[in-house]
Amino acid sequence: MELCREVRPAVRKKILLFILLGWVLLIIGDRVDELRVYQGAQIAMYTIALASIVLLTGYSGQVSLGNGAMMAVGGYAAALTLNNLQTPIWFAFLMAIIASAIFGAILGSAAARLSGPYLAGTTLALAVGLPAIANQFSFLGGEPGILFDVGFPPERFGEEFTQYKWFFWISSVIALVALYITSNILSSRFGRTWRAVRGNALAAELAGVNSSRMKILAFTISSALAGLAGAVFAMNISLVAPGAYSLALSFALVTGAVLAGISSLPGVGFGALILVAIPEIADAIAGSLGSADKLNNYLPGLIVSVLLILSVIYTPNGPGENLRKLLHKKHAK
Amino acid sequence: MIRKTGGRRTWFVAALLAAGSLFATSLPVQAETGVSSREIKLGITLPLTGAASPGYNKIGNALDAYFKYVNDNGGVYGRKIKLIQKNDEYSPQLSIAKTNELILKDKVFALVGPLGTANFTAVHKSVGIARRKVPALFLNTGFSGFANKKSYPTSFTILPSYAMEAKIVAQFIKENLSDKKLGLVYQNDEFGIDALGAFKDAGVKFDVSIPYTSGTQSAATAQTWVSQLAAGGAQVVVFFGVTSATAPLLAVSAAAKYAPQWILGSVGSDPLTLRALGVPVAVLNGALTPAGNPSPNDTSDEYIKQFQEINEKYNNADFDDYVLQGMNIGLMTVQALRAAGKSLTRAKLIRAMETKGSSFASVAYSPLGYSRTSNVGHTGYYMAVMDAKGDRKPYGGSVVLYTTDSGKGPVVKSNFKRPAMPAKGLPTN
Amino acid sequence: MQKVFETILIGLSTGSIYALMSLAIVLVWRSTRVVNFAQAGQAMASTYIGFEIASRSEIFWLGLVFAIVAGALLGAGVDYFFMRVLFKHANSGPAAVVAPVIATLGLLGLIRSIVGLTWGGEFKSIQTPASTNGFTIGESTIPFSPLNVLIIVTTSIILIALAILFQKTNLGLALRASAYAPEIAQLAGIRTARTRTIGWAIAGGVGGVAGMLVTANNFLSPYSLDLLLVFGFIAAVIGGLESMVGAVVGAFVLGIGLTFILNYVGTSLVFIGGFTVLILVLIIKPDGIMSRGKARRA
Repeated sequence: MELCREVRPAVRKKILLFILLGWVLLIIGDRVDELRVYQGAQIAMYTIALASIVLLTGYSGQVSLGNGAMMAVGGYAAALTLNNLQTPIWFAFLMAIIASAIFGAILGSAAARLSGPYLAGTTLALAVGLPAIANQFSFLGGEPGILFDVGFPPERFGEEFTQYKWFFWISSVIALVALYITSNILSSRFGRTWRAVRGNALAAELAGVNSSRMKILAFTISSALAGLAGAVFAMNISLVAPGAYSLALSFALVTGAVLAGISSLPGVGFGALILVAIPEIADAIAGSLGSADKLNNYLPGLIVSVLLILSVIYTPNGPGENLRKLLHKKHAK
Repeated sequence: MIRKTGGRRTWFVAALLAAGSLFATSLPVQAETGVSSREIKLGITLPLTGAASPGYNKIGNALDAYFKYVNDNGGVYGRKIKLIQKNDEYSPQLSIAKTNELILKDKVFALVGPLGTANFTAVHKSVGIARRKVPALFLNTGFSGFANKKSYPTSFTILPSYAMEAKIVAQFIKENLSDKKLGLVYQNDEFGIDALGAFKDAGVKFDVSIPYTSGTQSAATAQTWVSQLAAGGAQVVVFFGVTSATAPLLAVSAAAKYAPQWILGSVGSDPLTLRALGVPVAVLNGALTPAGNPSPNDTSDEYIKQFQEINEKYNNADFDDYVLQGMNIGLMTVQALRAAGKSLTRAKLIRAMETKGSSFASVAYSPLGYSRTSNVGHTGYYMAVMDAKGDRKPYGGSVVLYTTDSGKGPVVKSNFKRPAMPAKGLPTN
Repeated sequence: MQKVFETILIGLSTGSIYALMSLAIVLVWRSTRVVNFAQAGQAMASTYIGFEIASRSEIFWLGLVFAIVAGALLGAGVDYFFMRVLFKHANSGPAAVVAPVIATLGLLGLIRSIVGLTWGGEFKSIQTPASTNGFTIGESTIPFSPLNVLIIVTTSIILIALAILFQKTNLGLALRASAYAPEIAQLAGIRTARTRTIGWAIAGGVGGVAGMLVTANNFLSPYSLDLLLVFGFIAAVIGGLESMVGAVVGAFVLGIGLTFILNYVGTSLVFIGGFTVLILVLIIKPDGIMSRGKARRA
């Protein structure tokens, strides 16, 4: 089985790469100040969320604005499990994954027959209406939300080991594992089938693929990832509230994914970094313009929208593709 | 076919990266965060925009105006106060993000006047206010849960709690309106539920009780409230919510010609803001509201007069309850900073509040309850009635002050006389 | 019985505004095969301009006219400067499918941010052109006011005017032809690109009216028309994106239905109700209740 022998070194190399990445993150986390550590935890969270979009939109070709809502499902599931059943943290995260996978499957079944704008519009409706739905059921805590307390780092790490650093460690490990698994899924038969269906559903069906089942599968896995990201998000801010999973979040995710290269998994780190950097940049701009924080709240939205539009028009498949085209031109010369 | 991707090269680069990051050092720590020989940095989170912002978004600028006045007159032992305002749109997770910025990035000395019950609850837990020993002075919320010194060791309230307010309103109803049908509309979270519990304990029963979720207030929802209230025949309606919910309730009632005796909770009753939101001022005539301060138009009061002068010169807004609130918090903050002494630390500030806070000058009529065991500020209200211009006068002609606690203690009439306003509004304690 | 009557009346008023929005969405869809999510943003921006004029001149109708003009200009501008550039660049690769959708969403965010930066996020209110006091019938006051009447009348006038435009004029014929069979229309000498821009302009103007009418009784903020967008979209889907009559019918059905939920169940379920209707229609009759047989999809 020559194929196996070819594949195994590549797999081993991938695992080593991830372990190395983890090691570097660990050391960096030790050396930077607390604000950066906190932002690092947020970046880790966004990488998981962006991976869910790459899978759903980039590979399976379904434009959904509902990933923010799936993050909410994950966040609430984790918080409710932790607060009401007093389970260990990892179990809460597991529940987040399961709950959002279930919701994703449901949404996917309804959405499998939809395409393009119908799907986008339906998921837009979900994203806009999520706060209302969350407010409806009092056990979801309403507008103020539910507190999500994963506790403090183990005492043997010492006084200096702040809670934010603990969050950073946990988020990074989860992100690395999730990315590794996603990467495997995408380079497997599933990934190839998704891209086939996306390219030409009719041809794929003729080749024996059940395209609706593949679409639902994509929704399910993507939602599971989004739910995990939602739970990590809840951990980082110790809170699950409907306002945290607003339409703006879904927008930001789509933007980050387009910037990352919508079908490129390695780009999610870059996309996540930009998403966390935007409020900082907006802050700096507003600061140098000397305006009150009032304006500051619209500046990030402006930057996100402009970036989204520019990238959709000029680099719809991510800057990686443009680079490749450029290099091709150079080679052709 | 398989390219050698230079595995060895990858290892080398990685090792270099790892080694390099070992040498990166963390930032040096200041003597006391947010305090230098020249300035003291303070931070506030509040809704500058968004559904809950009308009215409250003036508090920050009023606070800043007062600080500028003090800075122009020597500051606090020579240090100028710098206030950093952050907009959280009344949304708890934004409050968390902005407070993180204030504490980790802007490195403020203390938080002053953070607004919102759900907001501060979330911030206190998520950012770890108590754990970091950051003082949070004069919370802009009346949630009685914050009056717990054990759970909130570095936080201090200033407003009487909603439970206190409800108890005083309940007393008033029992004394003056005991035979009427009662209706209640309240924001369905810790804010309103605080009051609800106190009403229950006081034995007041409402014939119509309408909770609403924060953020859903609008003309359409107010329509349903009014239908229910009118259908239930409520002759007295008590309202516990933010101003942007009071407005549609009053406006819709006026349009439907439904005119019960209104009792508006202090949080949502500022007449100027209500008029800006479209409530015809005639509707306010006769409305009752528990008040802690004199009316902002009462220039015979020394506090009001002085604050209005400062407002004229330093602030760009009409003087109303919110501007008054902001400036008063400023006055209290400066007294607290002075009481902490010239070598300013967070711990000393907290100690100063505990030992000297109860004697601070404040525009409100009721006594301050700060002590080693209590972080509660003002403890009482008087009932006021609004006239056809929306101006507030004490019910019965003169201020009858009631004080109580957030628990089961009785509501008592108080003869407390508040301290005089420091000369020119500049504390010298 | 009276409550049913009241509910239907208010439902008509609400439905009228949804009708304007869904009509605008269908207009753009038929001419460009794009669901313009930025419609709400355009309507909101036009309403802010209308608000400026109305509050300075104290005349609502003047503000409305300006809102229509602003909406039309904005709509034409978006088509001319934005959509054409988009179609030129993003037409290959996996993103081609998603690009128009994401782009109009980005545009929505962009318009919202610019409006927010220019006017700030505080709530603004527009003086209503008609009283909001409910009519008194005998002893009781019903929640249906002269303003509601005004909304229904204004909408009806616009719908009739548009119907005449589309059925009886050359421009209307050109608009319909360019949307339905662009190549044949071009062969017949119709300048399809310019016609499409006109279609966008009309849609934008109609959106401006919707924004002004809905704000007359509510507050205006950069987020206030989001719900209108969602309900307009749902209404358009109910009627079937292909049919303008369907868009209007769907909107009234939705408006009345949601008002029933509001009055009989409570505000909290309104949104869930709307969302459920959307899902149901998409599952049962994805081409809309007004469609006959197979209509074109994406």
